[in-house]
Amino acid sequence: MTDPHESAPYHVTGEAIYIDDMQVRDQPLHGKVIYSPYAHAKILSYNLDKARKIDGVRAILSYVDIPGPNQMGPVIHDEVVLAEDEVIFIGQAIFLIAAENEEIAEAAARVISIEYEVLPHVVTIEQAIESGRLVQPQRRIENGDVSRAKNDATNILNGELKIGAQEQWYLETQVALAVPGEGDELKVYSSTQHPSETQALIAEVLDVPKMEVEVEIRRMGGAFGGKETQANHTAIWASLLARATGIPVKICLNRDDDQIMTGKRHRFFMKYEVGYDDDGMITYMDVEQNADAGSSTDLSMAILERAMMHVENAYYVPNIRVIGNAWFTNLPSNTAFRGFGGPQGMIVIEEIIDRIARILGKDAKQIRKLNFYGIEDRNETPYGQIVDNTLVHTLCDQLERTSEYEKRREAINTFNLGSEFIKRGLAMTPVKFGISFTTSFLNQAGALVHIYKDGTVLVNHGGTEMGQGLHTKIKMVAASELGLNPNKVKVNATSTAKVPNTSATAASSGADLNGMAVKNAMDKLKHRIAAAICEYFNKEGGGDSEPEHIEFRNGQILDTDNPKRKIDFGQAIMITYLKQVSLSATGYYRTPDIHFNRETGKGHPYFYFAYSMAVTEVEVDTLTGYYTNLRTDILHDVGNSLNTRLDIGQIEGGYVQGMGWCTTEECKWDDKGHLLNHSPDTYKIPNIQDIPKDFRVSLLEGHPNGAKTIKRSKAVGEPPLMAAFACWFAIKDAVSAIGNHAIEPEFSLPATNEVILLSAEKIRKKLKDSE
Amino acid sequence: MKTASSTISFVLGNEMVNLDLDDTFGNTPITTVLNFLRSRPGFTGSKEGCAEGDCGACTVVLGSLSDGQIAYTAIDACLVFLPMLHGKQLLTVEHLGSSSDLHPVQSAMIKTDGSQCGYCTPGFVMSLLALYKNHNQPSKEVVEDALTGNLCRCTGYRSIAEAAALSCNNEGKDHFTENEDEIIGLLAHIHKAGIAINTDKHQYFRPASLSEALQIKKSTPEVLLINGATDIALRVTKLKEDLPAILDLGNVPELKAVGMDENGYYIGAGVALETVKEMVKERLPALYDMLAVFGSKQIRELATLGGNIGSASPIGDLPPVLMAYNAKIVLASSDGEREIPMRDFITGYRTTQRTELEIIKSITIPYPGEHIEVRSYKISKRKDLDISTVSGGFSIGRDKDGLVTEICLAYGGMAALTKRAARTEAALLGKAWNRKNIEAAMNLVDEDFEPISDARAQAEGRAVMARNLIMKFWTDTMR
Repeated sequence: MTDPHESAPYHVTGEAIYIDDMQVRDQPLHGKVIYSPYAHAKILSYNLDKARKIDGVRAILSYVDIPGPNQMGPVIHDEVVLAEDEVIFIGQAIFLIAAENEEIAEAAARVISIEYEVLPHVVTIEQAIESGRLVQPQRRIENGDVSRAKNDATNILNGELKIGAQEQWYLETQVALAVPGEGDELKVYSSTQHPSETQALIAEVLDVPKMEVEVEIRRMGGAFGGKETQANHTAIWASLLARATGIPVKICLNRDDDQIMTGKRHRFFMKYEVGYDDDGMITYMDVEQNADAGSSTDLSMAILERAMMHVENAYYVPNIRVIGNAWFTNLPSNTAFRGFGGPQGMIVIEEIIDRIARILGKDAKQIRKLNFYGIEDRNETPYGQIVDNTLVHTLCDQLERTSEYEKRREAINTFNLGSEFIKRGLAMTPVKFGISFTTSFLNQAGALVHIYKDGTVLVNHGGTEMGQGLHTKIKMVAASELGLNPNKVKVNATSTAKVPNTSATAASSGADLNGMAVKNAMDKLKHRIAAAICEYFNKEGGGDSEPEHIEFRNGQILDTDNPKRKIDFGQAIMITYLKQVSLSATGYYRTPDIHFNRETGKGHPYFYFAYSMAVTEVEVDTLTGYYTNLRTDILHDVGNSLNTRLDIGQIEGGYVQGMGWCTTEECKWDDKGHLLNHSPDTYKIPNIQDIPKDFRVSLLEGHPNGAKTIKRSKAVGEPPLMAAFACWFAIKDAVSAIGNHAIEPEFSLPATNEVILLSAEKIRKKLKDSE
Repeated sequence: MKTASSTISFVLGNEMVNLDLDDTFGNTPITTVLNFLRSRPGFTGSKEGCAEGDCGACTVVLGSLSDGQIAYTAIDACLVFLPMLHGKQLLTVEHLGSSSDLHPVQSAMIKTDGSQCGYCTPGFVMSLLALYKNHNQPSKEVVEDALTGNLCRCTGYRSIAEAAALSCNNEGKDHFTENEDEIIGLLAHIHKAGIAINTDKHQYFRPASLSEALQIKKSTPEVLLINGATDIALRVTKLKEDLPAILDLGNVPELKAVGMDENGYYIGAGVALETVKEMVKERLPALYDMLAVFGSKQIRELATLGGNIGSASPIGDLPPVLMAYNAKIVLASSDGEREIPMRDFITGYRTTQRTELEIIKSITIPYPGEHIEVRSYKISKRKDLDISTVSGGFSIGRDKDGLVTEICLAYGGMAALTKRAARTEAALLGKAWNRKNIEAAMNLVDEDFEPISDARAQAEGRAVMARNLIMKFWTDTMR
């Protein structure tokens, strides 16, 4: 199973077509968005006359020009398409311009005048908590008896952890091209993870039936969650301009605007208290999670929910209480990003364990192992789902051995004793990640498969390709179901006209859901073809071929009871066609047995869990704050891999992206709500120099998924991101070595070199003071 | 003087292109190569990821005639104005190979799974092409340096580095090699005169001699000087400014001159930083260290010594280390030349001693005496392709008793200009170079500066960095 990415030859030659590369019947107009420069203000007046008079300006729209409701909130309708009399974040769209080229659009933008009255704003979580504006009532998940455990506790530890935002930084910024057709028809090419929702919102905003709007996406230039809901915005704006002008309109946000206008991974402010015994076994945990939702709901409640349901990561906590608050601030609405609240939720218990280990004078790995979920017992999650057969022990045992953890720990201790300013650190961290949308009804998918008379197969499904290789996996699944060489199968661009009412390609679920939907369509087609071919075999040769004994393999269709009876797939298709049998089928899948009750905080929300284990060793120059990732080993569970090459790519890429969140990627806002890091000049994602000098990724073998997934594989999109915890804790371990692991380093996430230096400085000061 | 021309000529792939940059066909003298390409049918392979030279998605390769051969360099197409292409060959991903006829770097990228979403990939393969043409079996360091200017958000880079190792082993031979004679012939025919474009909206001069350049500077003093333009280009691509009058010094042979004698180096202001980097590796290691983390290879191929010094940014990478080396700046005008110590050259926030009629001609850098040690440090959020949060160019001279006889502690990022830590220097002068004195001096750094808080760091963080660099310098000199 080692096919490369199906688009790789087009990627490397520049032949792959992205939306900004597309040519349509008319030269598209250039769309530009005028947005708010204030975090909160009243719009007192504005003047568009001068701008409208510029030659080449085709339309300037405000909210009054919207045919339907001025609403584009994906879940809760609390997000206006264009601001009315108030703006609530910097980057909020107010006017749309369509002009014949960029220069004209910029000229128009320069002469639009808007008068504001600046109002008080909220731009930090602390301010938000004070203001008391919750997105929805506080959420709570509880198990065991926290109060009693608190009374009984031998040791209690309190703390806080600040977790920073992260910009998705897809290489391709938000982009959409809207092409008007006849009457109300509109075809929109949108770089979206969720074409059905993009379609629905465009139809609502334009006040036309959904049948008139088709949304299509061949591929995105990266998404990472950032195009799950917020691709809708650009698509809606382009559609409004296209409708107003009758001409195709393209909006491709420039990098700075993209970073200023769109939401990020949620910042969190965590407060925790835990009890533990003298061995380091956790007896209870009481956590308060505060998320910065930004200015509207977007996906914040689902993200908070995942943060809450990942609060214990891979560990059994018998008594637990998690309180979740999502707070409104005057920032762009924060949104999905690979991990979807999981990373923020999980790192807190890792931090707790790291601190307990330092207090007890032990290696954190020992405390981790002590608290892992049990196999037979100690396996109930805070939300009541049982963790069946956790793989965390298997991964831990194997990786401890292959990474030579103990030997390296000793070597590091020796190194640190002999080195005052250069310190090394090591950490091993686990990942347990729940797979399924926690909003249960979203766990469904559709497919539409056509077999043509020449025996080639066109597969449509509801999932979108953003680089993860979904179409490659689907192509392989489809080919293997029909026993064909993959070159006989093509996966089409994703279109709402082919498969309707789909869910977002998100929650790592793309292959799980769509793979099964495609298989369902294939089952129907195979059933029909088998019947037709049995009829043919029996008529030609007499006898008794039965459909249930027909197999599709090696490009042929054969009767397993009578292997001499076989026919080429292509020929069989023609025979089936001549027998007047349909060679097109829809497929459908819904994940079985999952449910979750938000009122009680209990249920079985996840179809299964995916696991990972990572060991990272770093070297930190405690005078400059620079760190080097010397070596990283990851052992990752993907069940039976659908494609090992793609899966390894997801794991390596996920780790490095997570490493960025843990180290150099910092989103800072000034007190007026301006994002300070809005271009790669100041927003630093990892580059090639930052990756582990020695990077060893392997897949756990011999553990097919216990749940009935496609080919018993497991989802791989999000889980590896959290393997990067190992990097953050290794850096912390190195800094901790300054104080010989007796002083807790003051750390926050990301651990930029500034955080590292200030933390090192404080430890040195404490050492000096105690001299 | 040869007559300047308003037409530019370059070879696109293997086809001669003559462009009149008179604003009539959408191309102006400040149209970037990336925008030119993407508006031309069939050239959408190069992508815009940031329009500021930080992501490399627009990487293309320039072929330049050098000693009768073609030298290939990867550059960011978003930072290059069209006239800079004059006399060169421009290669894009479209010229590299097609999905049915792949170049070795492309096949390798498929083999190693070097692409996922594919948006950064055309840029990566072009950086790989430059690597392929210039290095056979490159070391890991060379590969990483060649790819530092390209960001990928999907793969985690390991697979891309592997593609480089897999492909760069054929001594650069490929289909471009086969065509080289023909291209050399085409390039040789392009006129060598200066370029002077005068339209209603734009004046763009690209003179071919120093005297011509000085003449233009005298007659049009307000003209904006560029020499590489990796900084100035952002005013067009990001701020959407129109730059009405430009004097591009990129084609002045006198500014490309380099030399070294027993006293030190003489480096023309127009020498690309990548060239400077390779030149000074042995004799000026502190300058080399700074250049090694300066921007990316794509940027260093364009950016020049004169440009970096002339822009006088408080976070410019080179002024501190050039101050530490006690370099001298040679300024030229039509009235003659004068020399100013680098330590006195910068006078304030982006202001220098250069008058309106002058241009920076060259930099002379003396070898430090045997009793002098020079080091450079750069702290930035990301080690490579980032802008300094705090940087330092330090030098120390000691007598035979180990007492400090001369000292220069020049800092970037700590004030509105590159500035020496005067109090700290004074405190250390004449003292023993030992830990006790260093620790005492570290506290004085706080008195020398009042750093600001910004996107890169808080004032408190900057203060710690500045202090720590003194200790870092001391430990490095004690090794």
